[in-house]
Parts: sequence; structure tokens; C-alpha cells
Amino acid sequence: MLSRIAESLFWIGRYVERADDTARILDAFLARMLEDPWADENAACRSMLAILGFAPHTDGRLTTGDALEILAFDRHNASSITGALASARENARGARETISSEMWECLNVTWHSLAARRKAAERLGPHLFLGFVRERAAVLAGLAESTMSRDDTWRFLVLGRSLERVDMTARQLSIQAGTPQWRTVLKACGADESFLRTHGGEVKPQRVVEFLLLDRLFPRSALHALTTAEDCLRALTPGVERAGVTDPARRPIGQARTRLEYADMSTLLDDLPEHLAALQRACAAASAAVTARFFVQAAAVAWALEDA
Amino acid sequence: MADVFDSYAMAAAWDEMFEAPGRPRTPYRALFAVLQPLSGADLRVRADQLARVFTDRGVTFAYAGEERPFPLDLIPRILDAAEWDQISRGVKQRVLALERFLADIYGPGEVLREGVVPRHLITTSANFHREAWGINPANGVRVHVSGVDLVRDEAGEFRVLEDNLRIPSGVSYVMENRRAMTQTLPGIFAEARVLPVDDYPARLLAALRSAAPEGVADPCVVVLTPGVYNAAYFEHALLARLMGVELVEGRDLVCSGNRVSMRTTQGERPVHVIYRRIDDDFLDPLHFRPDSAIGCPGVVNAARAGHVTLANAIGNGVADDKLLYTYVPDLIRYYLNEDPIFSNVDSYRLDDPDVLAHVLNHLDELVLKPVDGAGGKGIVIGPKATAEELAQLRSTVAADPRQWMAQRPVALSTSPTLIGDQLAPRHIDLRPFAVNDGSDVWVLPGGLTRVALPQGALVVNSSQGGGSKDTWVIAAEEVEVSVPTQALPPAEPPPVSTRDSGPVSAQMAGQQ
Amino acid sequence: MSWRLRIRHVTGFTYDGMAHTSYNEARMTPQSMPGQVTLHSFVDVFPAATTWRYTDYWGTQVTVFDLQRGHDQLRVTATSLVETGLVTYGELPECDWDALRTKRDEFSELVAPTPLTAVSSDIVGEAAHVVAGKSPAAAAVALADWVREHVAYVPGSTGVRTNAQEAWALRKGVCQDIAHLTVGLLRAVGIPARYISGYLYPLADGVVGEVCEGQSHAWVQWWVGDWVGYDPTNGCPADHRHVQVARGRDYADVTPLKGVYNGALSSHLGVTVEITRLA
Repeated sequence: MLSRIAESLFWIGRYVERADDTARILDAFLARMLEDPWADENAACRSMLAILGFAPHTDGRLTTGDALEILAFDRHNASSITGALASARENARGARETISSEMWECLNVTWHSLAARRKAAERLGPHLFLGFVRERAAVLAGLAESTMSRDDTWRFLVLGRSLERVDMTARQLSIQAGTPQWRTVLKACGADESFLRTHGGEVKPQRVVEFLLLDRLFPRSALHALTTAEDCLRALTPGVERAGVTDPARRPIGQARTRLEYADMSTLLDDLPEHLAALQRACAAASAAVTARFFVQAAAVAWALEDA
Repeated sequence: MADVFDSYAMAAAWDEMFEAPGRPRTPYRALFAVLQPLSGADLRVRADQLARVFTDRGVTFAYAGEERPFPLDLIPRILDAAEWDQISRGVKQRVLALERFLADIYGPGEVLREGVVPRHLITTSANFHREAWGINPANGVRVHVSGVDLVRDEAGEFRVLEDNLRIPSGVSYVMENRRAMTQTLPGIFAEARVLPVDDYPARLLAALRSAAPEGVADPCVVVLTPGVYNAAYFEHALLARLMGVELVEGRDLVCSGNRVSMRTTQGERPVHVIYRRIDDDFLDPLHFRPDSAIGCPGVVNAARAGHVTLANAIGNGVADDKLLYTYVPDLIRYYLNEDPIFSNVDSYRLDDPDVLAHVLNHLDELVLKPVDGAGGKGIVIGPKATAEELAQLRSTVAADPRQWMAQRPVALSTSPTLIGDQLAPRHIDLRPFAVNDGSDVWVLPGGLTRVALPQGALVVNSSQGGGSKDTWVIAAEEVEVSVPTQALPPAEPPPVSTRDSGPVSAQMAGQQ
Repeated sequence: MSWRLRIRHVTGFTYDGMAHTSYNEARMTPQSMPGQVTLHSFVDVFPAATTWRYTDYWGTQVTVFDLQRGHDQLRVTATSLVETGLVTYGELPECDWDALRTKRDEFSELVAPTPLTAVSSDIVGEAAHVVAGKSPAAAAVALADWVREHVAYVPGSTGVRTNAQEAWALRKGVCQDIAHLTVGLLRAVGIPARYISGYLYPLADGVVGEVCEGQSHAWVQWWVGDWVGYDPTNGCPADHRHVQVARGRDYADVTPLKGVYNGALSSHLGVTVEITRLA
């Protein structure tokens, strides 16, 4: 497949996951701020924005409204929900003949509906907007699942989604770490019901972190997403190597996976910040390696005329 | 009961649907019967539904930097079998003559030596690309795809308005219009035997494959687009998807040693036929505009070396120049030894000083067109222009008459069109699409009927407030699918196959 | 008089860093035509590249090549062996201004101005007295000499993209400018004219076997019943010392080396031409 299209698919995967996860994080965050009237709103907003990679321009006090504006509605930042969905659609537009028409229409309709959803959210609360975003991400995932052949097209999409998921899970845990709101963390990851069925009603920090980082069966856990990403990369470059792994994208992912898989469970909570930082580094390294390996020279070049 | 046609006031032009108020022409009778009971409001609801379908599917064109749905009018335009026969023969004839002309101009130049067309007409055309001289396409085809714009005059005669041999667009709307119409108004198709339009991608792909360089058994065909911001991007993507080929941008291609490949995740893959939707000027920075970032340097010489085929060929614009247009009937006689099936719209060549003087004195009665304009740009319709516009036009034309041609204004035929929730006559034209595979020119049944939505407007173009109509060609009686004379014996009904079902609650079981 | 000349023409570009990819066309192969035969010709590219040839609309041999690897210099060397002066111009057929007018369509692209050759009506007006009362053949020579009188040959005074009008304003230029002006004026008075690029052997009488420093040169041809070559820079007919490479409407049709590339800024390497008379 075309390198440019592969890159688009990878980024559709990443952007949609980013919008989905940001919506979940915001939902959980807004709920926490409502439930905890003593929380320092400004500090909490700033800390969350920083972890999600935003540097607010103002030095004044930030409210949850500001955070919502920045994280949900800012069209000009590709990491906000609106920005990420616009970028996903833009990528899909350029790859329109490769992805299925249903997927393109899904992204296109989502993008066209955002303005109206935002208006509705202004009257009826942000949950309406955030819920819509999560639902559309689920529709897209379902369409991809049922309409795409399991070829490289699919793999690049899933690879992007998985890397973003690992990265966002790490960031979600960073935001919530240090607060006693573990139930909120589970909710933010869409994991609360699955967790309760697995571990019962007692929400212990150790168990939550285990579940979100190490669970082999829960699809949003870091380990599960790393394993999926690794499978995609292995299928993209078939062939058996006698020793080691030369694929520079697979190496950081594999290392991060084994590090988690064989982590010392007794010190898991103490080592958490270190684990999370390592996960984010691994994602960045893998993304850079995938770009260098598969998406080479897709940028437009300028030509200069010379004559003599 | 409200009748949508009650308030329909015919205009002073050939009406496509009615021969007289309340009297539909034969091919329209069935449609008339279906639509008559509906109210204007009913139609409006369906029209809005159509627009929504288009926005959701991204059937849009770029207008002033925005994506807009291309307005589709609910009332189809219908052509009967006899009309269609004339149109398709006329289009074929024109394409064949212009193919011969292009081969001649970019080769031996007999037509110039024999004085059929003055040489200066060619050498002063901005679209005569000397870079294309000596490039011999593999199967001799230069006009793989063309769109010949037709209008119907006051007497009901079809006339050619212009030829489009470069990168005619609009065929995606033909396919999307039909799809949307069958979904939104399935009822109106029931009575009509409308020829299908969904053959187009397969025909196009076959033509492109047969244009492949010699010796390539399984050619790789791609569609080359300027990118997502191009007004016709939707069409490029649709054609690529329906043909099952890659949609590439210039940066996806790389030329090396006069061979073209595309960059894929598995390395570079050879490309043999490029259906390019990029203008000549931007195609190859080595030969044309060096500042083009959307083209692919080296591709012209790759075509010259015979390793890749460009469809359409470079330099076709010299044959759809509006000044050459006036010579096309002569070209048909010269190359094909046939009488032209279509007449042109009466036109004036301004290179003759006497004609120029006459035209300058009668600007208020004529239509003036820039010879190189696309999309209706720059056209001045004399009878509708202000004195100021005419004065401006006079000095512009006098300064550079080679850039202009004049035509008698034709009151284009009208068709009932939904405006608000009323039907009103609006002017329309027709662009049939032709695909040349080297052995035959195939004309897509129907084509794009464009409608000028502002009242009285005569320029029908999407960039100038135009919409479109689904265009029906009614199959001739004799080609109707024949019913087998010997009916098959009635088959035994198949045995009923039972379905498994899961556990049911006592309550549900009780209901059964 | 017939001469045999060996020509070595080197040109190219250097880059302020690397050029990654480049696509080029060289028009550096002398033509074979009445009066001149190219016995041997070779275009060599450094860094090495596969070359391919075609003949363009104007009848010029074009050498095509592309480079896909990074390079900081591009050097093209054309080596040719040419026989010149094989026929001398005979008596020209009679040709008056009316006859020229009947040829306007046939020579339409050679009587129309181009961006590089267009001259203002002021210049044409100034030159009107030169043409007055003369036959086309005499008028053409007079016009060429008139340009030479008014425009000084000053190497380095203009660039490759200077047009005729700009050179006239400076009243100086190189052979390219003088040829553009001459062509522009000839066309303005209705004489079909073309721009010729090639080489000039520098000495009136060549010493056989001696390597001379030659130059890339430009002159003109006009049609007055037949094509006549004339060197307006030197005020003499084009003869056995002139080696013709390409002809066209102006410099843009005959550019010896042009290309597009991506990468760092480029500068011209400079041209060297060595001509040796072999016989």
C-alpha cells in the first residue's frame, strides 16, 4: 500500500483513540471536580493539562470550563477532541478510496455534527458532547472491525490505535495517581464494570493498577495494547530472525511489554511513575521508528529550476 | 388536490418536459403521472433529504474554500432512445475527429500544411504544448475521457457548446445522482426503463488498461490527484475506489530513468498508466511550472520514452480551445469524410478584422467567451451586460482578440426545477462522457445535466450557482429484456428449513 | 571552406550543501543539417547517470538524465566532432515584402514576439529608417548591424534571464541579448527569425591541432526566400566557424542545461568550451 495512505491510517487510529480517551478523561475529571468541592480547581486543571501535553497561555486561574474549552473544543490543536476528530477526518479524506465508505462516512458525519453537539452541550452539559464522541469512536471501531480486510491497511490502523492507547492509559494513570479516586480512574478507562466482575467490589489501588497496566484479557490495558501493537508490527514485517529483533519499532514495544509482564508486583505502586514514564518513551520511540520505516518521503517537496 | 405542475409557467425556450402547458412530452408522461399527485412541500422534504445524503457521503465540491453539496434537483431530465442515438453518434464522431487532429498536430501536421486550420491558430494557443510533440501514446489514444457540452436551442436541436478533452469532471455526480435518486424516489423508476450508469468505472479501467505501454501484461493503473483540497477530489477518490486502483498524489510517485513508480510500505512499485487529474501546467516541474509541488518531475519524459501512459495525454487543450471549436465541423469532414452530426452554436472568429469590427459593434447582442476559460469564467452575455461592462469588454477584446470568441446567444432549453417548494423552468445543458479504449468510443448513457439555478441564468456551472439533474436515457422498445417464450415449469417450493433458537423465558414461550 | 572541429563543452551546478534528487535536460549536441554534419557526439554526466535522448519539436537532440542520490555538484561534459561549412550560401531566391506577408501563417511562431524577444514600439520606431526602402534581405542585415551599433558587447553585463527590452535599456549585453534584440526587431518588421545557440571558433584562421578557448555563442537566422544565418554580435554571416547546436524562438527553447532539483541552493559552475580545429 502507498506510504502516504499507511501514514493516514496510522494517524486515523491514533486521533480517534485520542479523542475517545480524552473524552473519557474529561468525563471522569469533571465528575471528580463536582464530587470534591474542596479540590483546588486551578491546580487540578493545570496538572491535567500538563500531563496531556497542553500548556495553557494564561497565568490566571483556570476553571473546569477553561479545561473543557481547551481539551474538547479547540479546533486548532490536534490533541483536543475537536482537533483530533478534524485531523482524523482530514486523513480519512486523503485515504478515502482505501478505507471503507462506511468508515469515511462515519468520520465525516461525526465531524459535521460536532458544532451542533457542542451547542447542545452548552445548554445541557458537557456529558452530552463527550458521550457522543465516545459513541462515535465505538461506531468507527465497529465499522473497522466488520468492514476492513485484515491486511496491512487494518494493521496500520490498529497499530496507531494501540500505541495511542498505551500512551493515553499511561497519561490517565498519571493524572489520577496520588488521588484516592481509583473508581474514577477505572471509569475513565471504561474499565469499571469489567474490573468489578473480575475482582469484586473492593477497589484497591494495587488491583486497579494491575488491571489497567497488566491485565492480559482487558483490551484497554497497557499490556494488551502493547501485545496488539507488537502483533501488528510482526505481521507488517514477516520473516523469522535467527537472533534478536532488528525492527526498531518492535524493539521498544517488546521491551516495554516484557518490563510490564515481568514487573515485581510487590513494588508496582512504588514504581508506578517510573513505569508510566517508560511506557510513554516506548510509544514515542516506536511511533518515530514506524514513521521512518514505512512513511518515508511522503512530504511534498519543492522543486527549484536551474538553467545555464 | 394541489398539483405541483399547476403553477409551472413555461419560459421562452424549448421546455424539456412540456410541449405545451399541462401537456408533457411522450418520454415524460410516466414521470408526470407519478409526480402530479405530490405537493411542492412533499418534493421539498425529499430534496432536503437528498442534500443531507450528499453532505454525509461527502459528495461535495469546493466553493469559496468551503465544501458544499452539489445541488441535485429532483426532476430528472429524460432523453428517449432516438435522441440518445443521435447524441452518442455525434459525440463519437467528434471525439474521433479530434483524436485524429491531435495526432496530426503533435506529429506530421498535415492539417496545417493543407491549410484546413491556419497554423497561427495552433502556434499562438497557450495550450499547444511543444513538449508533447513526438510523444506517441501506446494505443494511439490521447482523449481517453472527454466531455462534449451540448445545449438544445429554441428549436429543440442539440448543438455543441464546447469540447472538453483535458480533464473533464462531473462523472461522479452522474453516478451519485442516480444512486441518491433511486434511494430517495424509488417510485419514479418503476415505470421507466432507464439505462444504468454504473458501468462507467469498469469501462474507464478497461480503456486505461488497454492504453498501457507495449509489453506490459498486467499494467498498474493509478489515479493522480492534486490532493484533498482540489474541487473535484471527491470524484478522484470515487473513481479510484470503484476501479480498485490506488489514488496517488504527486509526492507518492517517483521517476527514475524514465520509469515511474509509487512509494509503498513494501518499497517502490512500478506504475504503467496514470489517469491524471492534474492540469498540464502542474504535471511535471521539469517541463511546465517549476514551482508545482503537486506534480511529478520526469513524468513527461517517461511518457515520451513509452514507459508510462498519461491519460489524458498532454497538450489536448489545443483541440478544445474555443477558437479551434469553430473549425471542428471542417475537421470532421477532413479526417472522417462525414457530415457533422451536431452543429456548433453560430460563432464568430475574431482574427478577421471585418468580423472583429462587426462583433465590437454588436457586443450587446452576442456572447463573448475567453478562448482559454474554464468553468464559465470570464463569459460575458451581451444582452444581460450593463453599458459599463460592455465598454470594459470592448477594450479588453480589442486589445487581444486572439483570446476571445463570440457566439450568438442561445436560449438554452429549460426543465422544471424545484425552487423553494415551487417548480419553475431553469436553463440546462448536457455533458455526455465518452471513454475511448482505442477500438471504440463508448458514451455513458445520459451524462451530466447541469442546471443554472438563478432565474434566467444561462451559465450552468457548479462554480457559478449551478446544480444538476439525474439524466435518464430510456431504453428503446426493441432492446427491452426479452421474456423467455417458454416459461420454466413451476419449481417445487423448497422444504422449510427450521431455525435454531436460544433459551426463552417462560413468559415469552407462553406468548408464542 | 569546410572545417573539422572538436568541441568539449563543460557546464553544471554546485550546491551549497546537497541536492537530493534532480531531473535534467541538456541541449548540447550539435545538429546535423545542410552545411553541418555531426560525426560523433557524447554527453557525459558526473555523478554518473544513465542518459536517454530524444529530438524535440525544434529538431534539437536532447539528453535526459536524473540523479536519485545526494550530490553536491553536477557536471555535464559534451564532446563532439563536427564538420562545418560544407556548403556556402548560393544566390537567394527573389523575395519581396509581399512574398513575406504571404508566409506569415507558415512562419507564425517565428514572427510572433516572445517574452524574451519582445521589443517596444519605440525601438521599432527608432529602427524604422534602417529598413525604409530596402528589400527584406538588405533590411535584415541592416537591422542586425544597427543593433550591433547601439548595443555594446560587454561580457557579464546581463544574466540568462535578461530580455531584449532590458538589454536595450542598458545599451549593452552579451551575444544572447544582441541575438534576442535582433530577432525581436526582425519579427517586428515582419521577417521570420529564429534564435540559434552553438559555438564559435575564436580565430579567423585556425591552427590545426591547437586547442583554443572557445565560447558558447548565440546568433540568428532569418527567412528571406530561404534561411540565412548571421552573427549580429560579430557583424558577419554565420560560417564554418559557427557550430549550430539548437534553434528556436529564443533562449528558453534552446537552454543548454536546465533541470529541477530539491535540496540546497545552487550556483552555476561556469562554462568552459574548448574547440580544436582538426582539419
